[in-house]
Amino acid sequence: MAKKRPTPKRRSPARRATPKRRGPRSASERVAGLLVLLPWLMKRKRVRLADVAKQFRMSEEDLVADIQMAAVCGVPPYTPDTLIDVFIDDGWVVAEVPNFFTRPLRLTSAEMYAVIAMVRAAQKLPGAPERSVLARAVSKLAKLAPEATDGPVHIDLPDEPNLEDLRSAQADSAELRIEYFNPARSEVAQRTIRVVRIFSESGHWYVLADDDKSGAIRNFRVDRIQSVVRTGKLYNQADVASRIEDDADGGWFGSDLELVTLRVRGDATWIAEAYPTVSRRKNRDGSIDVALRVSSEHWLSRLLLRGGRNVQVLEPAKYSDLAARTAALVRARYA
Amino acid sequence: MALGALTTLSTPVAKKSPKTPSRPATQKTQPRVNAAERMLNLLALLSARTQPITLKQIRAELHNQYSDDNNAARAQFERDKSDLRALGIPIEGTVLGGAQAGETAYSVNRNSYELSDMGFTAEELQALQLAASIVHLGAQEGEQALWKLGAERVNPKIGPRASIGFTDPHLDTILDAISVRSPLTFMYKGEHRTVDTYGMLARRGFWYIVGFDHLRKAQRVFRVDRIESAVKKGKSGSYTIPKNLNIASAVPTDRQMMAAGDYEHASAQVRIDPSLVRTVAREFGDTAKVRDEADGSAVFEIPCSNGYGFRLWLFAMVDKAEVVSPPEVRDMVVRWLDELTEQA
Repeated sequence: MAKKRPTPKRRSPARRATPKRRGPRSASERVAGLLVLLPWLMKRKRVRLADVAKQFRMSEEDLVADIQMAAVCGVPPYTPDTLIDVFIDDGWVVAEVPNFFTRPLRLTSAEMYAVIAMVRAAQKLPGAPERSVLARAVSKLAKLAPEATDGPVHIDLPDEPNLEDLRSAQADSAELRIEYFNPARSEVAQRTIRVVRIFSESGHWYVLADDDKSGAIRNFRVDRIQSVVRTGKLYNQADVASRIEDDADGGWFGSDLELVTLRVRGDATWIAEAYPTVSRRKNRDGSIDVALRVSSEHWLSRLLLRGGRNVQVLEPAKYSDLAARTAALVRARYA
Repeated sequence: MALGALTTLSTPVAKKSPKTPSRPATQKTQPRVNAAERMLNLLALLSARTQPITLKQIRAELHNQYSDDNNAARAQFERDKSDLRALGIPIEGTVLGGAQAGETAYSVNRNSYELSDMGFTAEELQALQLAASIVHLGAQEGEQALWKLGAERVNPKIGPRASIGFTDPHLDTILDAISVRSPLTFMYKGEHRTVDTYGMLARRGFWYIVGFDHLRKAQRVFRVDRIESAVKKGKSGSYTIPKNLNIASAVPTDRQMMAAGDYEHASAQVRIDPSLVRTVAREFGDTAKVRDEADGSAVFEIPCSNGYGFRLWLFAMVDKAEVVSPPEVRDMVVRWLDELTEQA
């Protein structure tokens, strides 16, 4: 029967996902993949096809095509006993007799640096595996590349004293009362939250939580949480998690937020890099026109004040004097 | 194509018939598939042989997998060889003497490309998996390494998780250059730079490289996303990395930037409104606090040598902070504000 050519599938547009390919995979990509996949399978002997595809971020079609190809490779005379022992059996990938390609490829220096940097950064976070166990694993890795352990690659995550309380509350499904500084209003308010997820993005820690005040699932920046106490109530993780699905379209910033276009230049060009932008265009004179969504007028006024004379509001016109108004407000303190 | 059809087709018995000289016609239309299969067979053959073998012998063994035409077969073989090399599998060539004088025989040493048994315990492997799930470094390097070590990607729901972007096209070249001590050349702020790269740092969503800049003849920091050209590697083994160099402290933090400048005043006293006292105390430490005021606000001593950094920090609090002294710094803040008010 005719084999179908692997169909390139578009990945979901996750913000951090690396687009691995656009067209059909090249021969060497397929071989490279198999040389990692085969030893991994031989160590496990039987794994569900769907799990393998998920683990290796491949489509099931591509995976099946690769395994079928490997199954007819080996050494002369290419009789069943001289072919790679791998096959698909009723939704399972089976590799019971390790005969060829039983050992994985060596780690590249980039991979070695990556693993060691990851482990080092993870060690500092709450919830990390036991130090002594990780240290043993790292010392075994270090034998492969002694120079990598000096750590030429570092991952610097902000130190957050609140992380441990948030993690343990999440683990216990314990509702929290927090004092939170809201830059959209420059005020501190009490909120009651139920933690869904704790993550870092662009160098800040965030907690995604169900917030009783707004009645929505939203992100709080951990360094703006001034205090954390348990209310004594427990919550159901599954309930809260299912609400995220409903809210998923809201995304990082809801699309109902106001769109503002700024022209930034000189020492204010950091604005074009620091926030998620809707569009960005470089002008001939070196200035950048950047469109971004703003959560409140106060937040925008703060941004304009920080950017100073090198930021100009292009749209909407109602904000063209916002920087001046804000400066006047702050100036009043210096009267 | 439905998956069910594929899975039933691929039972081992059905597929594992001896190869016949004529390959299935469907594969002729898929040269890429052929090349992948041929590469695997070539690697399997060379790995299984204890003695080097010539291309002639390889072609005879891999019956019909290489072209019948000598030149075309040679070209195919060279391509396979260089593709395999790129995957970290060097195929060695030895020129023969005697009856086969002038011919090259090829071999591959499994020990040179296979990972030796790491001897991880199940517990250690799990610890690595968990660590990698807490700090996730791009798709390519981190995951590939885990799979090679026999571990897998796991997805814990509880606890902090950091995803470090690793998508910049220069990162692979840079890592590779660091590992072989090869200087990098690239355009940066409109100038050609040659940098002996000592290390890389991910901080606040950006990647930085630290190294010796030949142009400035000093150690410098570069932000990777600001590199304006392709990154090229120079000669391997051209430099050594200084002992005891701490990459993390070589890249100044925001706070250090505020203290690094040539402004005549090193610090200023700033009154902070009650709502932000705790935040500022955490940022600069309790020792930075000069006094508490009766209304709950507090005065802090904050570095301001770098006027620009100081301004960004101060104005982030809008009207919740006020410089009280020295008068020169207070006047400077007033000038900044007046410039903005006049702009309207």
